[in-house]
Amino acid sequence: MGRSAGPARLGMRIAECTLIALLCHQPGTAQSMKVEVSGLSDVNFGQITNFQTDLRQAQSVCVAANSSGLRYSVQASGSGSGGSFALSNGVYDLPYTVEWSPTPGGTSGVALSALTPLAAQTTSERGPRCKDGPTASLVVVLRASETSRALQGNYSGSLTLLISPE
Amino acid sequence: MVKVSKYLVLTSTLGLLVTAPVAAATDGTFGATSTGTVGINASVPGRVRISKLTDIDLTNLDPTVAASRAQNVCVWSNAASRRYSITATGSGAANAFTLDAVGAPAAVPYTVQWSATSGQTTGLSLAAGSALGALTSTAINSDCSAGPATTASLIVGMDTTTLQSMTSGIVYTGTLTLMVAPD
Repeated sequence: MGRSAGPARLGMRIAECTLIALLCHQPGTAQSMKVEVSGLSDVNFGQITNFQTDLRQAQSVCVAANSSGLRYSVQASGSGSGGSFALSNGVYDLPYTVEWSPTPGGTSGVALSALTPLAAQTTSERGPRCKDGPTASLVVVLRASETSRALQGNYSGSLTLLISPE
Repeated sequence: MVKVSKYLVLTSTLGLLVTAPVAAATDGTFGATSTGTVGINASVPGRVRISKLTDIDLTNLDPTVAASRAQNVCVWSNAASRRYSITATGSGAANAFTLDAVGAPAAVPYTVQWSATSGQTTGLSLAAGSALGALTSTAINSDCSAGPATTASLIVGMDTTTLQSMTSGIVYTGTLTLMVAPD
C-alpha cells in the first residue's frame, strides 16, 4: 500500500517550495554578486583637425549587476605611466580624460580619476548581458589644451574598465 | 609702410592619416568583477603657426641714418625637436622686398632678417622666396599663451642709399609675407 502524503508531509513540501522560490528571487549574496561590462568599442579620433575645442567620443555601453539595488562601481585605468590616461606616439604622451554616466546616450558624465573607483552607480540590468539595451555611457575626451600643443605623430593607448558590485 | 602678412601652414609629413586600433575592444565576463578594455587612437599632423606680427612703420625717416625695425614674434612648430623653416616674399616684382608709391620714380628695396631667438635686432638675412630652415622654436603652444611670449625676431631695414633715393612727401608701401613650415 502506498503511503499518501498526509497533512504534515504536504505542509513540509509546501515550505520547501516556498524556500526555493524565495532563494530564486533574492539578490546575489556576497559570494554570488556578479557584474558584467559589455558593448565596448574602440575609440578612434582619426586625424585631428580641430585644435580649438575639446574632442569627445562617447559610446553607450552595458553594465549588468545582480547586487542589491543593482549597484556597481567603475574604475578606469589607462596605458600611461602608473595607469594614467595617456596616449603615446612612442616618445611623447597625449593625455586624455574619461567620463562616466549611468545613463546611456550621454555625451558627458562624471570625470573619472585613474585607478579611483566611482561608486554608487546603478543599472537597470541584472545580467548577464543587457536584454533591454545599454545602461551607461563612456566618454573619452581629448582637451584642446593638450591637442594644441601635441607633437605630430600617431598616438595610441588602451583604457581598462573594472566593474565591481556594491 | 610695410604690411606684414602671415601664413599658417598646415602640412602633414605622415603618410598614414588614420591609425589602426591598438587592440580590439574586449568585453568583460559576468563574474565577481568584470573587466573590459577599449583601444584609443588619434593622429596629430605636422603643424606650425606664426603670430604676433605687427605692421612696420618706416615713415618720417632721417635719410642719413639707416633704418631698422625689429619685432618679436611667436613661431610654434609641433615637428620633432620643434623645427621649422621660414620663407619670406615681398610685394615687389618677382616677390622682391620692395616698397612702391604712386608718383615714385622707382620701387625701393628693404632688407629682411630673421632670428630664431626673441629680442634680437639682427639676424640671418632672408632672400626673397628662399627658405631658411633648421630653425628651432621654444614655443610650447600655438599662440605662445603659455611659456615664452615670443620666440623669434623679424628685422626689416633700409640703408641710407635707399633712403636718400626716395621722394619726400609720399608714402611708400608694400607687403611682406612670411611662410613657416615644419622642418
